[in-house]
Amino acid sequence: MLVFAASDKGGTGRSVTSANLAYHLALGGDDVCYLDFDFGSPTAAAVFDLPDVLTEAEERGLHSYLQGKTGKPFRVDVWARTEHPDLRSRPGGSGRLVLLPGDRTGGEFVTDEENLHRCVDLILGLKREFDVIIVDLSAGRSYAMDLALVATSPRGGLGRLKTRWLVYHRWTRQHVMAAAELVYGKQGIVQAGIAMGHRPDALNGSTRFVRAAVPDLESPLWSQVSPAQYAWMRKCDKELEQLAAGRGIGKTRVLASIPLEPVLQWQERLITDEDVHDRRIANNETWQAMGDLAQRVNDDKFWGEL
Amino acid sequence: MNRSAAVFRETSAEPRTESVPFSHLSLELGHLYMEDFVEGPARLRRHFAAVRPWVDAARAGLGPLGTGRRPRISTCFLIDDYFSRLSTPAELIPPLLAAAADAGLTIDYLARESGCAVADPAHRDRAELAESVLHRLVESPPPGSNGFRPPVSRTGWLTNGRRAPARRTSAALDSTGTVWQPPSETGARGHSVFMDVELWNGPDDDRTWSCAFLASVWQLVRLGLLRDNGRAVLTPTPFDDQEFPAEWDALPPVLRLNPQAAPFTAYVTCSVLPARFLPVEHAVRVILDQVHVEAEALAQIAERSAAEGFAVPAGVVDRTSYVFPPGL
Amino acid sequence: MDGLGTASGPVLVCGEVRTCLLPTRDAVDERAAVELLRLRADERVRVSRHPNRHAVSPDVLTGVDCRLPTATGARSRAVGTVTARAALTEGRVLQATAYFSAPAAGPDRRQPWGYYLVRPGTLVPVGRLPGKALTEGFLTGHQPGELDIGSVADSLLARISRQHRILDHDTPLTTADTSLRWTAAAAADGEETSLRFTKAEDGLRIVELRLPPGTAPTAAAELCEDLALHDWLLTTVADKLDGLRVGSEDGRAVLKVLRPLVDHLLHLWMPQARVDGALHTAWRELERTPGYSRQWNALAQRIRDQLVLQNLGVPRQALPAR
Repeated sequence: MLVFAASDKGGTGRSVTSANLAYHLALGGDDVCYLDFDFGSPTAAAVFDLPDVLTEAEERGLHSYLQGKTGKPFRVDVWARTEHPDLRSRPGGSGRLVLLPGDRTGGEFVTDEENLHRCVDLILGLKREFDVIIVDLSAGRSYAMDLALVATSPRGGLGRLKTRWLVYHRWTRQHVMAAAELVYGKQGIVQAGIAMGHRPDALNGSTRFVRAAVPDLESPLWSQVSPAQYAWMRKCDKELEQLAAGRGIGKTRVLASIPLEPVLQWQERLITDEDVHDRRIANNETWQAMGDLAQRVNDDKFWGEL
Repeated sequence: MNRSAAVFRETSAEPRTESVPFSHLSLELGHLYMEDFVEGPARLRRHFAAVRPWVDAARAGLGPLGTGRRPRISTCFLIDDYFSRLSTPAELIPPLLAAAADAGLTIDYLARESGCAVADPAHRDRAELAESVLHRLVESPPPGSNGFRPPVSRTGWLTNGRRAPARRTSAALDSTGTVWQPPSETGARGHSVFMDVELWNGPDDDRTWSCAFLASVWQLVRLGLLRDNGRAVLTPTPFDDQEFPAEWDALPPVLRLNPQAAPFTAYVTCSVLPARFLPVEHAVRVILDQVHVEAEALAQIAERSAAEGFAVPAGVVDRTSYVFPPGL
Repeated sequence: MDGLGTASGPVLVCGEVRTCLLPTRDAVDERAAVELLRLRADERVRVSRHPNRHAVSPDVLTGVDCRLPTATGARSRAVGTVTARAALTEGRVLQATAYFSAPAAGPDRRQPWGYYLVRPGTLVPVGRLPGKALTEGFLTGHQPGELDIGSVADSLLARISRQHRILDHDTPLTTADTSLRWTAAAAADGEETSLRFTKAEDGLRIVELRLPPGTAPTAAAELCEDLALHDWLLTTVADKLDGLRVGSEDGRAVLKVLRPLVDHLLHLWMPQARVDGALHTAWRELERTPGYSRQWNALAQRIRDQLVLQNLGVPRQALPAR
């Protein structure tokens, strides 16, 4: 399965949530590969706690590969290389977890036919090796996204692969509107996809939203607020839900909601079982939500036309 | 007998390249566009009158062979029925033959250009010749080609060197700051004469082959270097004193009009052509230089020509020659 | 091309084989195999049905003009063509091989391209071939700008993988590709045929061969394809069994791993099915140490035993504790 992670804006938790998604899928036994297509600012190496990888990836990362400067993009076995203390011993029954980092010096580039062929060849090759390929795209209607849309279109070469689009957004007015615009707007994914030969129903059926950093008003985090504050926040939440529904990204199109997690506010990292149960620094709800996301990405019941 | 084992034996051990007969020289008596035919018999007579002295020169140039025997020379003429069909074989061919005869020339073999493009109607199971040749192109690598970055190929085009790199990024986005580089000819003497040849256009499953590419196929056919799964292709069909049909497709791709003619395929070729075809023939040489022909076909020629004491150049492109006479 | 180490033949043959599972749910039939491997219109795909089904594409050539990898860093240029071909075993395992032969010496400057086209699959050195340094440099891996024949094999594999009408890219199991890089030189007088096999990181295998003088380059390539196929099978099956929790309560998880191995891979083990008789010695060494067939048989038996137990449906905890 091919999973594209998109967002309209930066700071939506797209990369960190996608990395956690990859981690949970691997824990569940899937062989997972994570491609950092965020050409502007590759961050996956940091999230997976691979400090030396950014330097090693220079001149041989994904960006260099797509430009034809190297024949094989650099790949990193996360279980073997991570400095995250909880991840060093690969859990029994888990699948492989491999990162293909981007290169820091990359920057954006204009896609052409050669980039497309290289992208398709790469993903077809990885498809033999991995159950799930997660591609983290730069924010907005980026070149990376156009490349992904062309590659997965019927003429692009990846048209036969099972593909899913995750669109991340935070739970605020601006982010909700921007996410809806990214998918359904004039310049949005669906319109761009149709122009490239995608079937709109199929593209819609394989697109779901992930709400990130959503404040859960019933959680202990908010237990100290005054009744007035509580009432105001409740009202905001309700209005946001109405706004989202009105823009076509209401509850039925949401695959998962990731609660506001203090640990992630401080550090973009993987949330582990130990963080929740031993160190007790992260919330169990976060761990659960990430697990749900992983389970639903894999479950056909949550996908298709509504 | 076990049939499967036989298939394997056939391909791995048994010689399987059909041999063809060879003249020493295949002499092409000019080439015309359909529009030229429409101009009438006078135009055709002028054509062959201009060709005649150079045909004599080409014959004389080959001379008597070392063994004292007369060389085998066959003549041919290619009709363009691929790009346009203004007339029918019944209308077009008899005046053509008459005009050649007026100049004292005999057309031994008459071929249709479509025969170089589409599959032989008599052998529907075979591949299109042009497509077979397309798959046999091995691009000449500009220095620095190491297998990872093959010469930047542009679908449907072939060059004699290295193209100017495409500007794939805007200057603001390009971190490497690439500057423009001129195209270059591989193995140029000092300065380049760079050529980029269009081989075909149109969709993949319905290509229109270029004139230059079909002319290259035509040269390879005359040189007896093409096979389809080891079988000879475009073998001439005897066509003695028959009526010419009203449809081009009803005509075999290569006709033998002269029963006494020497073999159609030859060790070397010479084409007497109007100078307006010079750019096309330059392109033909660029293409022929990059066609990988079957080793067994080459070996058969080497063996037979050696036995006759006739020197055949090793390179395919060196087996072709041209005359571009004045007034043609 | 004349045989290895003969007066007019090459002194060295080098190649690289990529091996992977064909990206389809089920093995393809012979007709589809032929269509997949029909890389040229005028030359047939060679099919053999015994002792197993095996299809081989026509050769395709790639022109190169570049520096050769040398262990000493000595600069050495070669011009010519690399041969590539693809093979499909039982419609299930796909291999792409790129290889070339090299004579001891060549002209001092690049010749017209036609000179190289009549020597298909030969890289002609400009000057003398740095034989020993090239063998070492080639097996170690190339530096940027140097000859990269792995990429030639890769692009052939990619070309075949793009044939979407036949390939659904929905494999029954995930498997890692392997690369087997090899060199073959003629054994000296009195020297035995020998093979040095090294398992390196990331699916890379390195094989250094000494073969009887006169061995055809194609025969060397076929031997290496056979080695690569069986090494891939063994690696793939061993990886799947590594860490398999047969003791877990959920027998379905075990079954999910074992079933595809039985359905798709276990019947493929057939060493030396198409290896030239003169080269069987090379295989014999691998059978002695580390004992490829021995290991394969043990793995296969283990898989079958596990399946029998799973089918009996006896949960582990139901067994009496000791």
